[in-house]
Amino acid sequence: MSFLVAAALGVGLFVAIPIAAHLLRRGRARERDFPPTALVPAARSVARERATLEDRLLLALRALLIACLAVIGATPFVQCSRLSLNRSAGASVAFALVVDDSHSMRAQAAEGGVRFQRALRAARELLSSAREGDAIAIVLAGKPARLALAATTDLNAARRALDDLHESDRSTDLDGAVSLARTSIASVPHHDKRVVLLSDLAGAALSEGQPPLWTPVPELATPLENCAIFGAEQRGRRILAHVACTSPAAAAGRAISLLGDKSGTPVPLAARGGIQELGLDLDPKLDHPELQLNGGDALKSDDHCPLAAESAALGVLVAADVSNASAKTGGPPVLEQAVGALETSSALHPIALLPDDANEYRNNALLLLDDPGGITPEARSALTSFVERGGVAVAFLGPRVEQTPLGATLEPFVHGAVHWEAKEIGDVNTASLAWLGPEASSLLDLKLRGRASLSTTDLLGGRVLAAFSDGQPFLTKRELGRGALYAVALPTSVEHGNFPLRPAFLALLDYFLDEARTRRGAAQSVAGSEWTFSLGSNVSIDGPSGVLAVHERARASGGAQKAATPTLAGRYELRIDDKPEERVVTVDPTEITTLPQKPPESAARARADANAGSVDASPELGFVALALLALELGLRVFRRVTRERGPAARAALRT
Amino acid sequence: MSALRKALDWGKLAPLRLRAKTVADGVYAGGHRSRRRGAGIEFGGQRSYVPGDDLRFIDRHALLRHGTLLVRQFETETDRTLCLLVDASLSMSYRSEDAPGAKYAYAALIAAALCKIAVGAGDRVSLDWFGGERTVELSTAGGREAFERVVGALETAQPSADLKSDLPALERAVARVERRAGRGSTVVVLSDLLDLPEGAEVALGSLGSRGKTLTVARILDPAEVNFPFTGPLHLRALEGEARVETDAAAARPQYLAALEAQAQRWSERLLSRGGSLVLLSSADDPVKAVRKVLDSVGGLT
Repeated sequence: MSFLVAAALGVGLFVAIPIAAHLLRRGRARERDFPPTALVPAARSVARERATLEDRLLLALRALLIACLAVIGATPFVQCSRLSLNRSAGASVAFALVVDDSHSMRAQAAEGGVRFQRALRAARELLSSAREGDAIAIVLAGKPARLALAATTDLNAARRALDDLHESDRSTDLDGAVSLARTSIASVPHHDKRVVLLSDLAGAALSEGQPPLWTPVPELATPLENCAIFGAEQRGRRILAHVACTSPAAAAGRAISLLGDKSGTPVPLAARGGIQELGLDLDPKLDHPELQLNGGDALKSDDHCPLAAESAALGVLVAADVSNASAKTGGPPVLEQAVGALETSSALHPIALLPDDANEYRNNALLLLDDPGGITPEARSALTSFVERGGVAVAFLGPRVEQTPLGATLEPFVHGAVHWEAKEIGDVNTASLAWLGPEASSLLDLKLRGRASLSTTDLLGGRVLAAFSDGQPFLTKRELGRGALYAVALPTSVEHGNFPLRPAFLALLDYFLDEARTRRGAAQSVAGSEWTFSLGSNVSIDGPSGVLAVHERARASGGAQKAATPTLAGRYELRIDDKPEERVVTVDPTEITTLPQKPPESAARARADANAGSVDASPELGFVALALLALELGLRVFRRVTRERGPAARAALRT
Repeated sequence: MSALRKALDWGKLAPLRLRAKTVADGVYAGGHRSRRRGAGIEFGGQRSYVPGDDLRFIDRHALLRHGTLLVRQFETETDRTLCLLVDASLSMSYRSEDAPGAKYAYAALIAAALCKIAVGAGDRVSLDWFGGERTVELSTAGGREAFERVVGALETAQPSADLKSDLPALERAVARVERRAGRGSTVVVLSDLLDLPEGAEVALGSLGSRGKTLTVARILDPAEVNFPFTGPLHLRALEGEARVETDAAAARPQYLAALEAQAQRWSERLLSRGGSLVLLSSADDPVKAVRKVLDSVGGLT
């Protein structure tokens, strides 16, 4: 504090003057000699009390006035820490507020309170300094990055959008959010554009770009010590718990135990950072068992986790002939290798024959069937039951479609005889497969030695999702109950073409896995992952924050479906067509293990240019001082009028 | 200028001697004659006979001519003693902003003017006090010298003493006056009648007995008459321990009513003793005030 600031603030000491004057005036007490005092009735009247109140009010007004003047005097040097926009030549500004609503933002901020709330407060402060003509966009950095408010000059809409934001346990998609923010304000005509990043910066590395980033609340990125249980699965009478810690210090001295199990021994964590798996014994008496971490850290909400049902991982059944569908270099069939590469957390179950019992499909969500040679009635019945309950079955049709034994058909995929065309086949019409993404273009210049001809079959109410360049069906889909059946007109064996070697093959498998995951619903998923349901199903969801909204949305491949996105970790009770189901939502371990990164160089420069986000409050204080002066004058006039008019006027004023 | 005048707020009422002469000159209209009817030399009219009347005064001519019993009355011109009893208690030193002087100063002016008039008519004057410091009681005397002595005593006295609970002091003063005042004397009491002890009405009222004429002139300050204050007040009596915290606007009607009731009570008490009460304000014209006193006494012709 400079001498000038101290001197200006020293003016505030003059507050003592009106106080002293008030005390001296009270000391005289208006006492006067009056011989016939005995004839005067005592009346400590309302007027007296009001006069006392008025005196005190006047004293307070004068003291405040002096204090205001002192602060105004010091204002060029004293600035409050409220965030505000620094304008170049007073021009309008377009800024995108990137608010990180990921799980790590639920941690305690350095100065107290939750980081997400601190970020929201900073956003509101910046918004309050916005003027008419400024454009504001709001982007959320929880995965997936979302646009909460497209660029608008409606400040009230921006305030409402901020009010609607809530904490979540989503993963972080910082880079995607920054890209989205830059895109959102790219088209506005403002010359001065900024991207304000209100995040703990615990995410993927941020890329430089225009407009530059500004991190006005750097304290959000303070490293913290935290451990979290991000998954707990039942394996028979054991529990497999997954724990992530930011550092060895965060893990030291902590242990995991089953909530409510007094006989169980807590399992200590290894004193190291990163991910670790721990096993515990399950007490079968416990209803809705839940794991907890003892001790405390920066984020308490992730110190407990409900136990997911057995085989929570996505179960995938793969029926492929090892002799035909394997690569020449050996190893498992191509289909198994591809699935294993795509979904490391899935539980892959190779099978030789299709199950005849529907119970054998239990805990599985996807059936991949390579070059089936017909489906027996028993297997067909079990498969139909599996699909109707939300399973996804995919048949890669090959030469064996013509070798179906008596009584076996390709139903429920297609009805009727399917022929194998053993000839050179042209390309897949990539336009019809555009919904798959950019990988679809890799199906050009295919070298195929045959295909299954589906043109003469009955699709049983299904439809063609993609076709060859000659119009023959390449991929069909049939909805059955809550599940779906897909038929691909090519096998996965590399002997029949190079289709399995193209990126589109992996993209197609990924699509099927997603379908299985969303239709069957993994018993355990990460917060922010969408659950989808068929449009005709009746779905209700109860979660940690109450009823979870289910809405309809368009599907990428056409049509509509119901969807819900759980954003908070915890146990969810679902009722799908009156059938109860339980799902567990966990946090993404990368939210724990990813440490805050340093902001880009451009962000540091932007912060320096922003004058530390301070605001000069002297105009407001000036108005306050004027208001106080006017109030004192008004009060004096009021006192004079009421005294001169006497009791009658006072009574009239009261009425 | 005496030392006392520095202490007492005489205001516009000083100098007392000159002001008293001026007032007396404005009032004085020659000698006054006794209104007493009875044995005398100048016929004063007739009245009906009542049993007990002296048979020597029966108008025989009227009896013979009209057959009615009438009694002849005569007026007698006589010298009368003026006994002044001045209140010099502390409350008489009060002067408000609107008053020309303290109540005592006004009382002294009235007393001196009455003295001047009485002496001019050949009457004798005495002066007594209740309360006060440096007070000098003057026995009955007449002539120019008596006026000078009365003025000197009035100028010397200083209002003091708390009589609120000192009834004996008042009774001693009344006893002195009674000793000096014979039958037919006029007693004029100059006081604000405030802060007097219990029984003061009886004591002062007794001065109207045994053929004496009693007039009590109540002198109040204009502030005491009108109660012109505003806002919250903290009042303190000059005598006694009375202190009152009040609101002027709210207290004013009740105060004025109490003041009037007190005056009414005094008036009734004095009237029952043959006396009378004259209400004066220290802001009143002294000439008119003296006339009111003389009218009340009944001595001015």
